[in-house]
Amino acid sequence: MNAVKVERLRKSFDDKLVLDDVSLSVNRGDIYGFLGPNGSGKTTTLRILLGILRQDKGNVNLLDMDPVTCSAELHRRVNALPESHGLYGWMSPQAYLRFFAELYGVSLNLKDAQSRLQQVGLNPDDHRPIHTFSQGMRQRLGIARAMVNDPELLILDEPTNGLDPRGRREIHDLFLTLNRERGITLILSTHILDDVERLCTRLAILDRGKIRYEGPLAVNLDQSGRVLYRFHIDEASKVPAPGCYPNIRILEVNNGWLKCELLGVSAPEALRTLLQDGVAVSEAARLSGGLEDLYLTHTRVNLA
Amino acid sequence: MKVLIALLRKEAVEDLLAARGALLFFVSSMVLSAYMILLMSNTELSLMDSAQAVYLMSGIILTLVSLLAIIRGSDSFAGERERGTLETLILTPATGRQLASGKLASILLAWFILLIICTPYLWAVGWPTGYFWPAFGYLSLTGTLLALTFGGLALALSARAKSVRSVLLVGLTLLLLLGSPVLLSPSLRRSSVGRVADLLNPFADALNALDSAVIDREGITFQIVRLTLMVCYAIVALWILYGSTKRIEQ
Repeated sequence: MNAVKVERLRKSFDDKLVLDDVSLSVNRGDIYGFLGPNGSGKTTTLRILLGILRQDKGNVNLLDMDPVTCSAELHRRVNALPESHGLYGWMSPQAYLRFFAELYGVSLNLKDAQSRLQQVGLNPDDHRPIHTFSQGMRQRLGIARAMVNDPELLILDEPTNGLDPRGRREIHDLFLTLNRERGITLILSTHILDDVERLCTRLAILDRGKIRYEGPLAVNLDQSGRVLYRFHIDEASKVPAPGCYPNIRILEVNNGWLKCELLGVSAPEALRTLLQDGVAVSEAARLSGGLEDLYLTHTRVNLA
Repeated sequence: MKVLIALLRKEAVEDLLAARGALLFFVSSMVLSAYMILLMSNTELSLMDSAQAVYLMSGIILTLVSLLAIIRGSDSFAGERERGTLETLILTPATGRQLASGKLASILLAWFILLIICTPYLWAVGWPTGYFWPAFGYLSLTGTLLALTFGGLALALSARAKSVRSVLLVGLTLLLLLGSPVLLSPSLRRSSVGRVADLLNPFADALNALDSAVIDREGITFQIVRLTLMVCYAIVALWILYGSTKRIEQ
């Protein structure tokens, strides 16, 4: 059963097309990774999912509801952590949680608020104003706010930004607990691959407004130890056909990238072979065979 | 109702804690204090008729409430959008209209605080000659209507605008345009064009109602048309606000 279903989403700002034909589906109980470089359209997609931006075309369905027409009902069952956190610097963390609890119609006394703070690793007796908090503490408070209404679906935009490795691990554990014990569906928009590798069961890779990959994560974690390289080839360049070289196995040609396995040949030799054959290679990098490769293969080098 | 109270409480505390809220009240009391000192120390002003002095002070207070409504209204949605806090508010089940109601209620609350600050000054000028109560009554009524009109319009613009600066610019220009006919010569204002312009201007309506009630000592029947028009303006402003906050986007 789908928690989220998006079909052929399209969105432009003025004349700039930011989302083009985006389709994805998230099953209930999934931890879904939403990967993509900066400016790829992740936040815009999430805002459309949450009903705070309207799409130009396409259908969006969250928990069998339309985010625009069922906004109030949807927001009772869904919550999100936006990239900006949305914190009021003058409030204490307890007052902040209680203010949002009131807006969600949830009864939250001081003890409840303190226990929620403890749950995300914040000191429950810290009554200092939020503006004195570090980036990591703000992030944790934002997460506590996003869980104030015990949502069925939690959408998190860069949830581990600003956290140190220990803090990141603690937040990972919290997300895993929420998912396993309470059955909360999580969507994580991030560019931190470690978050996705540790948490997600499925993922989508978005680049320049298009979904470049959507599917399970497990099949992509190739740990076979093969020597894999990717070469970026110019647009006007010749594209080699699979099987045309005895010691270079062409695995994939995608988006201007050539993914190859080198069979007993060094990278400079392979590069020389390609160049001599008229393939205009502009960049080469070794692949480890994991998520990083998948990400790099499906996203383009940011020249900006 | 709980949502409205939570929003009003948050807006009120935020306004009092933020420098901009306290500054407006401080500036208001400084302006009125300066006016009082001038009334007592300046030879020409001290000879002014008491009714005229009360009317002038009421005019200052009406200008202050209009400024307060525009500044607070401009900062409401657009300011939250700039500070990155609007997104979390619109992610809650609270509707755009509930958010707007909370913010409008906080503008009214700020106006009532301003009125409390202004009351001792008005009392000092108007009590000895019996002008205090009519001035206070009309000031409360017209000030509330101006707060609703200007606050409602500023909030409506703010709900759609990306920056506080743009809403503030539009709001202050509007106030300047509405205030400028008041500065015209009496002969021009007495012409038919001047009369129509005065009648259609909510700011001039408020001042003229005070003029009629305080200086000319005329009864409420003389102010009915002006007050009705002011109520209409407030209703139109609220209707525009209702439309623009039907759906708030980030």
